[in-house]
Amino acid sequence: VSRALLVVIAGLGLPGILPALAVARRGPALVFLAPLMGAVMAAVAAELELGVGLSLLTWYVVVAMTANVAVVAWWLAAGRSRPQAGPPWAWSILTVVVVLGGLIVPLTGLRAGIIGYDGNAIWLTHTLMVSGGHHELLTGLRSAAYTFSNPDYPPLVPAAGALAFALVGRGDLRVAIEVTALLNACALGVVGAGVAAVAGRGRPLSRLAALVAAAAVCIVGFSVTGIYYAVGGYADLLWSAAAVGAVVWGLVLPRSTQALGIAWICAAVASVTKNEGLTTALVVLVLIAFRYRPPAPSWLRRSREQPASRGLQGVAVWPAVRSWAERAGFVVGPALPGLAWAGLARVIGLNDAFFTSSSTESPASRAGATIHGMAPYLAVAPVALAVLVAGCYFVRRDRRRARLANPAWLWAVCLLYLAIIFATYVLGSPEIQWWLHTSVARTTIFPQLLLYTDLAIWLVIASGSGAAETAGERPEAVPVGVRTDA
Amino acid sequence: VDVRRSAGEPGRVAESGASAGAGRRRVGTRIGCGLIVFAAAVMLGLSVRNGMENTAGELNPGARKAWATFDRQEECIYHAIRSEVPEGATVYIDDAVVYDAQRLAELSTSWAVPQPSPATARWTLSLVPGRACSGRSLEVRHR
Repeated sequence: VSRALLVVIAGLGLPGILPALAVARRGPALVFLAPLMGAVMAAVAAELELGVGLSLLTWYVVVAMTANVAVVAWWLAAGRSRPQAGPPWAWSILTVVVVLGGLIVPLTGLRAGIIGYDGNAIWLTHTLMVSGGHHELLTGLRSAAYTFSNPDYPPLVPAAGALAFALVGRGDLRVAIEVTALLNACALGVVGAGVAAVAGRGRPLSRLAALVAAAAVCIVGFSVTGIYYAVGGYADLLWSAAAVGAVVWGLVLPRSTQALGIAWICAAVASVTKNEGLTTALVVLVLIAFRYRPPAPSWLRRSREQPASRGLQGVAVWPAVRSWAERAGFVVGPALPGLAWAGLARVIGLNDAFFTSSSTESPASRAGATIHGMAPYLAVAPVALAVLVAGCYFVRRDRRRARLANPAWLWAVCLLYLAIIFATYVLGSPEIQWWLHTSVARTTIFPQLLLYTDLAIWLVIASGSGAAETAGERPEAVPVGVRTDA
Repeated sequence: VDVRRSAGEPGRVAESGASAGAGRRRVGTRIGCGLIVFAAAVMLGLSVRNGMENTAGELNPGARKAWATFDRQEECIYHAIRSEVPEGATVYIDDAVVYDAQRLAELSTSWAVPQPSPATARWTLSLVPGRACSGRSLEVRHR
């Protein structure tokens, strides 16, 4: 584990620290975000290795240097005029310690030495391909001998593993599995830091509850995944936790450039980790775009129009075009690494294995089996729904005072994801019972973790209920360029 | 509310009624918050406990020994392929056990070149019962 830790800290964390610092500032999320940022850069390097040539390490150095130089240039150009506010150091350190404590407990599972089925058949295979260089990667992914490994799966996990091989050698293949497990922990750490941030500058009881809830959510992430999938080299917890991180920072916490940046990085991680991660990241990013750039109601648009410009269609249309272009940028920008991989995979002829032919089973029977298969994994949903109703009734004002978003955003993501997964199972080609048996425990990690996180958020709000009524607890100033929440 | 004492002062009656209502609302909110905290804490707590038990189950000596054996086996097959098959050789994986066939393809990657059919392969690989790699041995046939 020590070598994997070295790879995550030195190989991924150090190159990712400046870009992560630019986004998270001195917030506790920084510690967990830096290795994820490094992993995204490694994934981009793998895309360049496949699409252009050369080796992963060459491209990783180029991508990391470009990103770091860009951040330094941005700091020099605009950094001094921007507010660099962040939470107090003591609070940040305490949060990091507590969240790390929550993560270390389940990570002891690494001592079991598990290598899961997909950890072998998919992720280690792809890792060895990425590690072998451009020719090996291209011919390997295109070879019919490797169809079993789902060649169109995105490159973050193989890239991080191949980077580990480049840094510590191929003497022990387990190092790649352990790096994946540590990245899972980092993604959960970002979620935990988000839960801790819900308390903001609330009273001590609320902040204590937030810390406990943050640590609990980290352990719950491993718990709903199961230790076999969480530390056995599977990528499902990584994309799920990253997507939940994107929801918490982008669709729950108060709007700010910092929260938006963290949400975007999380979405980028999800988009280059698994195909369903890309789909989910796109859903989350669209909703974030609408939260940060809400469309003005038609009556407001009309009242804003100047009488003089009413007849000029071009003048009236331009703000709307700009507004939609901005929203499109909010979605395409962070998802670009994932979209680039999807495009590259299609160009070189890699297709999704789950929609190759039509199923002989009727959609109704597949739908019934899917509902039956998914239900046991969503046992938390009724309680989460009850807490949502109670929360909206009893602590709605506290939530609004804390400038947290409407819970409808989080639930919309959850329901949309469930609808997409349901449709995938119903319309896909594999035999449904086998498909559910081999995957439903993993495809339901995201909604489970999301609902448990929602419970944790309501817990923090309810434990600090009434705190914001005290004097001196006004909403924070909103950073430049970001509108306040409604 | 002391109605008798405030009977001659309608304003005070309304004020007392309002404050009583606010008090009831406050109590109701406290109970509601308590219920939210309780429900969320119980669900999170149960999941945490479940996770701890799950982790402890995988860390028992029997499970750890089994995974260590599997790990050694993987490493052994990985090195056996590299010592018995020339680098860049075209290989066909001929193993009836799907998982073993996939493992052989995986562990050949970046050394040999697995082929989808025997027609284009110079070597055939399979795993057979044996002692070399923790109960399995790599069988290599030159075609």
